[in-house]
Amino acid sequence: MHTANHDMSGEQVFQFSTSASLERLTGHKASNLEALLKLIKECADSSIFYHTFSAFRKLREIHVPYANGFAMWISRDLNEEALAEKLAAIDLREYNTIATLRSRIVETIETYRTERSEAFQKKAHTPFYLLDVMRIAYLTDKFAYDLKSFRELLDTISIDSVYFHFIESRLYTQLESDDFSTWIEESLNLEALAAEIRRIDITVYTLDELREKISEIIDEYMAQAPS
Amino acid sequence: MGIPSLSDYRKVVGRNVIEELYILASHVGNRSIKMINSTAVGGGVAEMLHRVVPLLNELGVRVTWEGIKGGDDFFDITKAFHNALQGKDEVFQDHVFKTYLAYNDMNNRTMDFGEDLIVVHDPQPAALIHWHDKRKNKWVWRCHIDMSHPNPQVWQFLRPYIEQYDGAIFSSPLFSPQLAIPQYRFYPAIDPMADKNKELDQGYIDTVLEKFGIPRDKPIVTQISRYDPWKDPVGVIQAFKMARKHVNCRLLLVGDKAADDPEAEEILLKVKEAAGNDPDIHIVFLTNSIPTEINAFQRASDVILQKSLREGFALTVSEALWKYRPVIGSAVGGIPAQILNGYTGMLVHSVEGASLQIRRLLNQPELAKRLGEGGHRRVRDEFLITRVLERYLLLLLALDHPDESAVFLD
Repeated sequence: MHTANHDMSGEQVFQFSTSASLERLTGHKASNLEALLKLIKECADSSIFYHTFSAFRKLREIHVPYANGFAMWISRDLNEEALAEKLAAIDLREYNTIATLRSRIVETIETYRTERSEAFQKKAHTPFYLLDVMRIAYLTDKFAYDLKSFRELLDTISIDSVYFHFIESRLYTQLESDDFSTWIEESLNLEALAAEIRRIDITVYTLDELREKISEIIDEYMAQAPS
Repeated sequence: MGIPSLSDYRKVVGRNVIEELYILASHVGNRSIKMINSTAVGGGVAEMLHRVVPLLNELGVRVTWEGIKGGDDFFDITKAFHNALQGKDEVFQDHVFKTYLAYNDMNNRTMDFGEDLIVVHDPQPAALIHWHDKRKNKWVWRCHIDMSHPNPQVWQFLRPYIEQYDGAIFSSPLFSPQLAIPQYRFYPAIDPMADKNKELDQGYIDTVLEKFGIPRDKPIVTQISRYDPWKDPVGVIQAFKMARKHVNCRLLLVGDKAADDPEAEEILLKVKEAAGNDPDIHIVFLTNSIPTEINAFQRASDVILQKSLREGFALTVSEALWKYRPVIGSAVGGIPAQILNGYTGMLVHSVEGASLQIRRLLNQPELAKRLGEGGHRRVRDEFLITRVLERYLLLLLALDHPDESAVFLD
């Protein structure tokens, strides 16, 4: 999310934000898929957020392919790889509400039950611990006024800020796009550049690599754009 | 070098992490915290508070720190409580609980509690809350031990006091009991600027190994832990000997013993017996370990083991991961939170498992390097002291918004 301050020329300034999370223990746990499904159906939205968005933020940095807490546990402790893959393939960018994301996760697990009911008989040695999170987002003191300053600041913001604007903020804005491409399209009127940034596949990059990829796309654009 | 200031951490964690801490702290505003624990000297909690307190003060949060006072009888009781809460079977007489409460009462009369947030660490001062039921400030209990299987008698006594707090903090969901108050997770953390973790020059590392007679002609596999059955040093030797049939290497065991541990001499004898006269096994027994020497041993090692049978959080794993060392750890206690198997280290469940991973890592340096990088990254994200600072700031903000799960601060 970025403030829509207007400078003297009437264009919108992009103020970078960032976020942090305080994890809470819920006391709830699951040792099998049935219990996990029940937890997912009944838990607070903030728990779904923790095991998806927060997990993504942390696990991508170490190249864990199942950057989703549910998928990690299902793979590592239940050894149900197919289900872990299906959950890991859920693209967080397609969801701007936790409710729709939760529904998708529940649907995926319930469908799996019809395909492989024996998986629901398995008991994990290490249970899944349900956590919850309070997330706090806040503005930084970095402002971009145009593409050049945006590109320069991209090198200096934290990866929490990259993650917030590219992945998490749509939960606040309810938009179907990330902050960066939205601002580039709506404030700088650079549709093609915005579309290219929007197309980046976040599941294959760490957040630092994502930053590099966005920078690369902008650099190429600036090199070719008429001065 | 003096005590590092917050700006010194910029080069370690990145400028933007520190900048964001200051911005977050500006939202916290002019607030105060009092930390209360058992002692300012010795132990992991004191070590952590010695750094966290001044750094939080640099961020503009006024933090004071007091140790609870008591006689030898009080600290004998609280040590027994500590062991009991971690599962030791023992029956306590009524007078023990009365003595504990009397000392908490005595400390309550001599301390001030005017700060916005009181953080009480571990069981020793936990009953202080009892005399503050009409408080306007917030009190949180920070538990640093594994309370997943507490002694029922002690827990039955202590629980009513803990449930008077506004919240409790544990290091892991594995360590927390059921409580009727909000519980937060604060991972323990290492200080990257401390002697145990800071960068060392190669000359110093070489000097340390020379001092202890450790040749550098072969890869070194190391476990650094107290000589204690729970750390399984004999299992480490067995794993090493199995691995060495396939890959040439040297084993380094470095440790000390707890002062009040009668089993220590016995375990050291068993370790020496298991090692025999093997010239590739080096047993280093330290009476007063020097943090930079421990640091040097870790940095000189090609593989680090933490093959414990039981553990608390095992922050020694993070110390090794921070140094880009590939770590093979048992899947016990807090180790799996630090080692994500195959990404930030290798988790094992047996002597045979440990030996297989030693062989693998010594034969696949690219894998070892990748695990070291992943481990370093994991520690940077979750187990550094700057994260502890962030968590305390977030806690102050969270206590302001108890019913909200997402807040956007303007």
